[in-house]
Amino acid sequence: MKKAVTFLLAMCMMLALAACGGGSSSQQEADGPFAPNGPVTMIVAYKAGNGTDNTARILAKYAEKYIGQTIVIDNVDGGSGSMGWSKLADSKADGMTIGFINLPNFNSSIVKELGTYKTDSFAPICNHVTETSIVVVRADETRFTTLEELVAYGKANDGKLIASTNGAQASNHIGAQAFANSAGFKYIDVPKGNTSEELTSLLGKEADFCVVKVADISAMAESVKVLGVFAKERLAEMPDVPTLGELGYYEDWLGSSRCICAPAGVSDEVIAFYEEAFKKTMEDPEYLEAAASFATDYKNAADTAALIEQQQAFTEGLASGFWY
Amino acid sequence: MLETLSVMGQGFISALSPINLLMMIGGTALGIMIGCLPGLSAAMGVALMLPLTFTMSADTGLIVLGAIYCGAIFGGSISAILIHTPGTPASAATAIEGYQMTLNGQAGKALFTACYSSFWGGLLSCISLYFFAPLLAQLTLKFQSAEYFWLSIFGLTIIAGVSSKSIVKGLMSGALGLLLSTIGLDPVSGTKRFMLSSYFAEGINTTCALIGLFSMSQVFILAEAKIKERAKAAKVTDKMSLTREERRLIRPTILRSWIIGNLIGILPGAGASIACFLGYNTSRQFSKHKEQYGHGSIEGVAGSEAANNAVTGGSLIPTLTLGIPGESVTAVLMGGLIIQGLSPGPQLFNAQNAPMTYTFFAGFVLVQFFMLGIGLLGCRGFAQISRLSDAILIPVVTVLCFVGSYAIHKNIMDIIVMLSFGIIGYLMRRFDLNTAAVVLALILGPIGEKGLRNALRISQGDPRILFSSAVSWVLIVLCILGILSPILMNRLEKKAEKDAKENVPADSEIE
Repeated sequence: MKKAVTFLLAMCMMLALAACGGGSSSQQEADGPFAPNGPVTMIVAYKAGNGTDNTARILAKYAEKYIGQTIVIDNVDGGSGSMGWSKLADSKADGMTIGFINLPNFNSSIVKELGTYKTDSFAPICNHVTETSIVVVRADETRFTTLEELVAYGKANDGKLIASTNGAQASNHIGAQAFANSAGFKYIDVPKGNTSEELTSLLGKEADFCVVKVADISAMAESVKVLGVFAKERLAEMPDVPTLGELGYYEDWLGSSRCICAPAGVSDEVIAFYEEAFKKTMEDPEYLEAAASFATDYKNAADTAALIEQQQAFTEGLASGFWY
Repeated sequence: MLETLSVMGQGFISALSPINLLMMIGGTALGIMIGCLPGLSAAMGVALMLPLTFTMSADTGLIVLGAIYCGAIFGGSISAILIHTPGTPASAATAIEGYQMTLNGQAGKALFTACYSSFWGGLLSCISLYFFAPLLAQLTLKFQSAEYFWLSIFGLTIIAGVSSKSIVKGLMSGALGLLLSTIGLDPVSGTKRFMLSSYFAEGINTTCALIGLFSMSQVFILAEAKIKERAKAAKVTDKMSLTREERRLIRPTILRSWIIGNLIGILPGAGASIACFLGYNTSRQFSKHKEQYGHGSIEGVAGSEAANNAVTGGSLIPTLTLGIPGESVTAVLMGGLIIQGLSPGPQLFNAQNAPMTYTFFAGFVLVQFFMLGIGLLGCRGFAQISRLSDAILIPVVTVLCFVGSYAIHKNIMDIIVMLSFGIIGYLMRRFDLNTAAVVLALILGPIGEKGLRNALRISQGDPRILFSSAVSWVLIVLCILGILSPILMNRLEKKAEKDAKENVPADSEIE
């Protein structure tokens, strides 16, 4: 009996060790056009079940057909994303490891010096998902019902309006700051740490307005009202909502992007191979059906590189004297 | 209301999925084993198994942890009954009557009573979990920065409860935890604080700290003691059942213990160890067979075991609805929620998370049935674990600690942090400081800091915002009660214990 119990405990240990599995193999590549010859590791800098993880897993599932190998999602979370991006930057540039970088949090992490990497530590492959930022208020708000009224109210009560954000210098703080700066009013930002608390703060009448992404309010159609979008053109899903640029405020696109990158130093063949494979995947009808809940936005390697640099310059601009 | 009922119903359907059922059986069995092992607490069991739930869906992960919790609270009674060694503090009172029954050759009956009462205590506690929790969840939007600040202060008053031995040492432990909680990026301005590397950007990983403080320190303590043979469990020979009369006899005891356990469970800072003494003492006060107390009373076993298992459902209420863990087990459970990406608190009952939450509740109900089944089937076998020497336990727990902390990020730093906290925890326990207080402060510190600083940002420095809402005032009153009630409870517990011991010979003389 005692032996049986000891055996049981040993089994517990084995079970725990088994849970640590999931290693990746890196193999030598052959000459000629690149094709991975083993499982491809895809680093996600957030924990399993996070938004980026969910969309990455859907992409990985359908991309296997075009890549010809299994894609292993490796969740390397921590350090506000910097642990994962550091790991991606330090990976062997053999085309067997690729990963997601999340704009503009990635840019913020460089500004905050959370890692040793820079934008040139990565070789962009393509863009996967883009979420546009929007300005929202409570649906029952009476003090202002349009963006111009919000700005007028903000100017009349300078420094009194309160905006909740998803964290200090996080994406939605950047949005609120870009909006208020371009419109010329001051406000109080209340960093909440995540988007759900940010919206709870708005609904609970603590905050007066906030900036979120389109997908964040998908289940809140009746409780919030969208006043403006951070885009160059109006969004197809909300044609009545003006862009900020139309009204004379911040005129560029703003939001978040999930770009696929390889560590710097990979050959052009590797980039070309994945660029082509992911392009086909993102055009695959089966993928598009599975990915209906989020905004797939394919951009080629060159456009993605330009986007990363543009966001980097913008974030660094914000950091120098833009915050307070 | 109808909508809520249908979500509750769907919860049962989801909970009945094969994977969930399998996890319930596994979790309950594991919990009972852990609870049975002296020195391994329910909190440790949950903390040790926490990393294994990372890869599961949120509801399955929570069901496993809930199953381990319930199993461990019951499991503690087995070693308490068989070798007079409560496997968890929650079974301290069970040992009084249970061990007497074992000496009388009624070990089987005592185990059956413990199992049967634990089942009813746990099952009845689900009633309050179902019907009081959503009520509290309605408060979601009332909780803003100022209220979160008071909430965390209220949570910190638990320290007074968990450190009844020495308030000063409890406060020292809490202050250490609060200091450690400031490591990382400042939640309001984003400034780096005490960061050695970007690994600490999000602060000290609570799970690593927890595994180190609770489990690794336990290994050190076990390793320090001489490895010695434990007392052997007596052979179980009698029948494992109760007669109809005996069941009728303990029915009112179970009902009283349910109410006691539930109320104690809802009160943060109290806990199963107090509930079992109160349950035991109340059963004695109401008993018609006081002469049996001290000589092996099934009512005494039932009173204690029903009360400590009734705490399980009750203690989940403040954890799930307010995000305030009432005791160390639920603090770990809350850590599990955070790791799953769910923010504990009222958000768990919104449209998005309610199906998951009610699946967990349904799982919690079903776990009680598995606990009854496994308990009845396996009592004889479980007791064998208590006979294992530390020479076997130490390596098993060590491996689980290392693997558990490494599994969080697959980062060697996590193991270093865990080991550091293991040493800190060992030293703290050697000096009678409170490791649970450190974990509490580590979890609640950032919530309080963010709440206070954001509230003052909004009011532009005017502290009146902290006293401006009814909810704030309720929380302030609860803070005051939270500080006073453990002191009161502590006295009650000591009195109950004293009465229980003193009255036994007195009763037999009167009879």
